[in-house]
Amino acid sequence: MVGKDCVAIACDLRLGLQALTVSNNFPKIFSYGDVYLGLTGLATDVSTVADLFRYKVNMYRLREERQISPQTMANLVSSSLYERRFGPYFVSPVIAGINHTTGKPFICGFDSIGCIDFAKDFIVSGTASDQLFGTCEGLWEPDLGPEDLFETVSQALLNAVDRDALSGWGAHVYIIEKDKVTKRLLKGRQD
Amino acid sequence: MPGFDFSNHNRNAALHAQGVPLPKATSTGTTIVGCLFDGGVVIAADTRATSGPIVADKNCEKLHYIAPQIWCAGAGTAADTEFTTALISSNLELHSLSTGRKPRVVTCMTLLKQHLFRYQGYIGAYLVVAGVDPTGSHLFTVHAHGSTDKLPYVTMGSGSLAAMSVFESSWKTGIDRDAAVKLCAEAIMAGIFNDLGSGSNVDVCVITADKTTLLRNYIKPNEREKKKRNYKFARGTTAVLNEKIITREQISKYITVHELEDETVTAAAEKMDVDT
Amino acid sequence: MADRYSFSLTTFSPSGKLVQIEYALNAVNQGVTSLGIKATNGIVLATEKKSSSPLIDSQSSSKVSLITPNIGMVYSGMGPDYRILVDKARKVSHTGYKRIYNEYPPTRILVQDVARVMQEATQSGGVRPYGVSLLIAGWDDGIEPEAEAKDVDEPEAEKKLASGKTGGILKGGPSLYQVDPSGSYFPWKATAIGKSATSAKTFLEKRYTEGLELEDAIHIALLTLKETIEGEMNGETVEIGIVGPPEDRLLGYEGVEGAVGPRFRKLSPQEVEDYLTNL
Repeated sequence: MVGKDCVAIACDLRLGLQALTVSNNFPKIFSYGDVYLGLTGLATDVSTVADLFRYKVNMYRLREERQISPQTMANLVSSSLYERRFGPYFVSPVIAGINHTTGKPFICGFDSIGCIDFAKDFIVSGTASDQLFGTCEGLWEPDLGPEDLFETVSQALLNAVDRDALSGWGAHVYIIEKDKVTKRLLKGRQD
Repeated sequence: MPGFDFSNHNRNAALHAQGVPLPKATSTGTTIVGCLFDGGVVIAADTRATSGPIVADKNCEKLHYIAPQIWCAGAGTAADTEFTTALISSNLELHSLSTGRKPRVVTCMTLLKQHLFRYQGYIGAYLVVAGVDPTGSHLFTVHAHGSTDKLPYVTMGSGSLAAMSVFESSWKTGIDRDAAVKLCAEAIMAGIFNDLGSGSNVDVCVITADKTTLLRNYIKPNEREKKKRNYKFARGTTAVLNEKIITREQISKYITVHELEDETVTAAAEKMDVDT
Repeated sequence: MADRYSFSLTTFSPSGKLVQIEYALNAVNQGVTSLGIKATNGIVLATEKKSSSPLIDSQSSSKVSLITPNIGMVYSGMGPDYRILVDKARKVSHTGYKRIYNEYPPTRILVQDVARVMQEATQSGGVRPYGVSLLIAGWDDGIEPEAEAKDVDEPEAEKKLASGKTGGILKGGPSLYQVDPSGSYFPWKATAIGKSATSAKTFLEKRYTEGLELEDAIHIALLTLKETIEGEMNGETVEIGIVGPPEDRLLGYEGVEGAVGPRFRKLSPQEVEDYLTNL
């Protein structure tokens, strides 16, 4: 979710095997310097893809002696996913970050084969995406400050996952500002 | 893009056989049109992207840059239209640099059809190619299987029938620029309002011998009413168990360090729910 | 018997030389002089276009080439080898970068890619080194030198280090590199390659000042060329490429959010002629 000079990215913590809950501490957000990547989908692919991009971003940083910008990262994710057009990873990633050259917040989402969805407001993904579309569309408003953005994104997520049997078990919320990131663990339903 | 990586294909087929649903690709749904006029060509598109019945993107861009004076409208699988046009744009730019000439629309159309034919329709890109080159103004459609058409006015995508009805009733020979832009915009509007796969705004691109003008969101017939009041939550609404503030300096320090958590977590994930 | 080691370029001579590379440098040093000068707001690349006969149609050949919209290149040495490198540089900027990140490579990345191509020719069987030295000039988006000078004022040295601004590549703005047949590359403020490189560099050392503007740099480039050039100097015999402010009129389209025009362009014979008359 985009706010005023800040962005938020949040995920629930459930790892499930169909209806069987395997773990209630499986974060789906990964940090790559200035950029945060959220991954939903098949857990094996979530891990594989997170590690693949850790490798790719580290190589980028070594080669170019700079942090990757969110926009560049978005195109890297897109082209990497499209390379597997006919044997995709079962993930739908979300990127959030602040571009440190322009100082502007950036978010985007992808389908499993790398089509980028550039949104100005919010991106949703995962089993509760239908519910999230509803809560975000209703609760989001432009130019929210970091504190208000936190409440909005948290409530949007918590209320959506409460109506999804496959999601929940607490949540992580990152509020990304220009020179600081606040990570919060939310209290959510454990059923 | 030297080629595709099929290494997950067998795994995915096995997963699918076990009942895991295949992930849904974003489709453009789409109404796209093109129309030749005296001295140039115009193409137009709606801006809705869909994933099944869900509107995935309310204002996406379906008019793709190929060369300064060749542009392409894409329908079908969104990722395919995006990457196919980017690939051909890249090849055409290299070709243009090495020959020292402006790229031609037929060259572009031929590269596209050869690429799409090679993949036998599996690359789901349905395109309207338009442009002006030293040989004149051109307008083509390219289908995912590699067939092409050359016509004075064309429509494609799920809203093509609605759009074509506008062309068939209003198109006249020797149409001028402004009339062509208006006609294309109306054809897209027909798609936006009568086809569920199309929606939101009208994007137009006008190409003439001396310049190309992209008119992004040329018409916005579906502006959302601004919320009169808001649903802002009082601060402290959300129950927080734990808070950690990381400053920018710390981020770059710990950047490559990933704490290995309980190893059993990753091992247990043999089969997991897949998102649609 | 130094000749014993001259057949296979991948064999070192006992003194530690790879003589084929030295011969390649000799080829460069017989080539027509080229030079580059970096200014605060751009870069100029200049060379002489020699024609061995008045019958040659000089318009159909060119020595200064565009690689990406913000990067240009010029050479001294063997023309045919240069054209191969131009093609490879353009290609690698797409396949190795643009098709992955959807943006053009920064200058140093492109220079490294070209240098790798040239280095491979010194270590592979059945090939000879490229008989050219290159000058590659480009502009990178990012934090420009002036903006960064402000950051240096910050008292905390630790803060600067942590921000990750360590490498030169983070600096946006102009950069000028020379690449040699061995695959080694050097960043320059101003330099020359080719036949009269030594005298041209001496001249540049005298003329170069910090804080040069692009227009001054073009002026100095022409003066330097004048010292070394044998024939007449006019729009046909002098070739100039500049990296300057973005030229949106060269974009060919309008209405695309965030699109900026190319910074690199070649000057037309008429433009060169105008600069020459003001010399």
